[in-house]
Amino acid sequence: MTSTATDIRSSGAGGLRSWLERYPFLPALVIVVALLALNGIFSPNSLSFRSITGLFSTYIALIMLAIAQTYVVSAGDIDLSAGATLSLVNVAIVVLMERWGGGAGAVLLALALGMVVGLACGLINGIVVAALRLQAIVATFATSIFFTGLALYVMPVAGTPAPALFWRTYGGRLLGLPFVFYVLAALAVLLFLMSRTRIVKELLAVGDDQQAAYQTGLPVVAIRIKGYLLCGVFSGLAAFCLTGDTASGDPLVGGKMTLYSVAAVVLGGSALAGGWTTVVGSLFGALTIGLVNSLVFFIGTPSEWQNFVQGLAILMVLMAGVLAGRRARA
Amino acid sequence: MSKLRLNGVSKAYGATLALRRGDLEIAGGEVHVLMGSNGSGKSTLCKIIAGSVRPDGGQILIDNKAVTISGPQDARAAGIGIFYQELSLANHRSVEENICLSALPVKGGLFVDRAVLTARAARYIALFSDVAGEGFHAQALVGNLRADQRQLVEIMKALASEAPILIFDEPTSALDRAQVDRFFEILRDLKAQNRGIIFISHRMDEITAIGDRVTIIRDGETIETLKLSETDPATVIRLMVGGASDMPAARSSAPAAVAGEAKAAISVRNLTGKGFRDVSFDVAEGEILGLGGLHGQGQSALLRAIFGASTVTSGEVTIGGQRYHAKSPRDAIRSGCAYVSGDRGRDGVISGRPILENVTPIHALRDRLMLARPSSLTRKAMPALEAMRTKFASLSHPINSLSGGNQQKVIIARWLIDRPDVLLLDDPTKGIDLQAKSDLFTLIRQLAAEGLGILLYSSEDAELLGNANRILVFNGGSVTRELTGDDRTRYNLYQAAYEAA
Repeated sequence: MTSTATDIRSSGAGGLRSWLERYPFLPALVIVVALLALNGIFSPNSLSFRSITGLFSTYIALIMLAIAQTYVVSAGDIDLSAGATLSLVNVAIVVLMERWGGGAGAVLLALALGMVVGLACGLINGIVVAALRLQAIVATFATSIFFTGLALYVMPVAGTPAPALFWRTYGGRLLGLPFVFYVLAALAVLLFLMSRTRIVKELLAVGDDQQAAYQTGLPVVAIRIKGYLLCGVFSGLAAFCLTGDTASGDPLVGGKMTLYSVAAVVLGGSALAGGWTTVVGSLFGALTIGLVNSLVFFIGTPSEWQNFVQGLAILMVLMAGVLAGRRARA
Repeated sequence: MSKLRLNGVSKAYGATLALRRGDLEIAGGEVHVLMGSNGSGKSTLCKIIAGSVRPDGGQILIDNKAVTISGPQDARAAGIGIFYQELSLANHRSVEENICLSALPVKGGLFVDRAVLTARAARYIALFSDVAGEGFHAQALVGNLRADQRQLVEIMKALASEAPILIFDEPTSALDRAQVDRFFEILRDLKAQNRGIIFISHRMDEITAIGDRVTIIRDGETIETLKLSETDPATVIRLMVGGASDMPAARSSAPAAVAGEAKAAISVRNLTGKGFRDVSFDVAEGEILGLGGLHGQGQSALLRAIFGASTVTSGEVTIGGQRYHAKSPRDAIRSGCAYVSGDRGRDGVISGRPILENVTPIHALRDRLMLARPSSLTRKAMPALEAMRTKFASLSHPINSLSGGNQQKVIIARWLIDRPDVLLLDDPTKGIDLQAKSDLFTLIRQLAAEGLGILLYSSEDAELLGNANRILVFNGGSVTRELTGDDRTRYNLYQAAYEAA
């Protein structure tokens, strides 16, 4: 990490503050490390390469969805239909792959069309929220029901399997490394590139102060729509990962993931009000949720208490993150 | 040859006419000063030119060609850059990003070109490098900067537009001497480049130092344009005040002093907080103390701080001889302090709820009321509403069914069920009709006669002159002048408000 002139003048709490400003995901990273350690204590096996691979392949869909959510949150919006978008893309690609025979060409074409579906969902949300100026939280809740309805039309009952070629590739290895790590590497590169784009800066400026951004001459409506388009793209990617992991279609699979994605964004250190977000933090936030779930299992919580403990643990993690951030900012 | 010309531009917000008839003509190579009192329409005029407010009528010509400006982007394309009084900065973005935000340089169509951005921003940062103060650098987050430094960023942002027409709406209010001097040097350079500059300030010395011509706006109408070299401050102030400013009609009609030896209802010593500093005064029982001066010079901040809605950093307040320190409005209400804000929507009205519920929340708090029985509440609410001559169909109608003036009466009525000792009025007549205003002030004077100590801030000078026994003029967060007796004239009020802080 490079040190610049700004670090020299700040020290003590001020130094921590400037670190947090530059790397707002630090508290989330610390929490992930702590949870990994706890997992390791209760079940040493959980830190094995195999288990870590399993953790990533299970939770990468949530990571992607949390990142999707982060882009809309940047502009001060929210997308409660992200999970439904994921479901719709999931059933669409599974049905298309099956119908077209499950060959390599069919898989790729289905994925391309799946991406179009994700984009279309994002566009609908963007138009409804930014252009028609409906309340984001209610409007996207409504579109989530609408998307779920479409998903149920495409595939009325869960269970249609994805072609073996697709899930074997996803769950397999390439040059000795599990495929999921290539996905993670590609995601890292993508996030790095995204952080340098104009649209991300503009989303953050809009989320910071929408009126100020408008007066500055930024096309606020177009920017917010682009935020929802980005959300659609990443929800689509999340659906690809999920399909690879579950190897089947399920029209209701994403429903409960939506609020997890919002929680991951907050756990990662982003401000829900917008203007101050971190995609890397959201990645750690999603991992936090995953690790809490496995920890609850490893400490041997009776099954009827698992939800209770899980909710309590997420609350505690949230408090720890908020307190750390508040202390650094004070 | 005029760079920019406005002919009869007008703008109304609902029933309030913000700008009746704005005429303005800016030549290349001049600094054109806009002057006018609070709410005279200066900022509205600027925002119309900058595209963030759409005019209802009138014509805008740039380089003698009629143009329609339908938004800030349009204005930018037409060659207009603006410094917004309330700033248009993104607090979580860096200084350099803010400076270039309206047109982020890109490469490859997608990515921000950081090198170009840094170089471009550095040019404008360099202009102020030795006066910007500690902690100001290209990567600093704007939210971490001091008020004057944020204002400098907004100036740099306006300059970075490189627009032929530049508008500066109160750019110097937080700047220190050295920063203002540097800014004026830059303005002189811009003049030499034949740019047209609109400048608003409320410091007379700055206006005479940098201005070439001045256009005076009064009550939303352009009154006159003068060359500053051919006029003097007294003339300008007279034009702003309008007509016979020294005539008895413009003098205060309220008695200069309160009869008898009244004790102090509230005394404030060296009070300092966000937006005001070192304010001291006493208000006797039965006295109405006016707070005057331009908008946002600390009057509202002071009243809100006394009411516990924002924090006081030092100084002390006593009410009725008792040490008083409100940590929250709840505390303040318990200690007999009342606050009525002109911003009803934010501070007063419980929107969508019946009138009865809107009259009784203070009573509920002061009486620790647990169970509310409508019949007994009605008995208490009716006299308060009648004292205000409030017009309403029934207590169960939602408050939104009333006009602005009647809503405000309901808000004031809620303080009358249990009498407070001190009444803080924060521009209470904003946006209400004349009849309601006069009812309101009749009641306020009557309350004073009954022994309440009243602090009245009003953005309308006529209200202060008509009702206040004394007037403290605020400038830059502190009291710069006290007007008593026959000094309470419109002219003195303006002069005190506009003189250098």
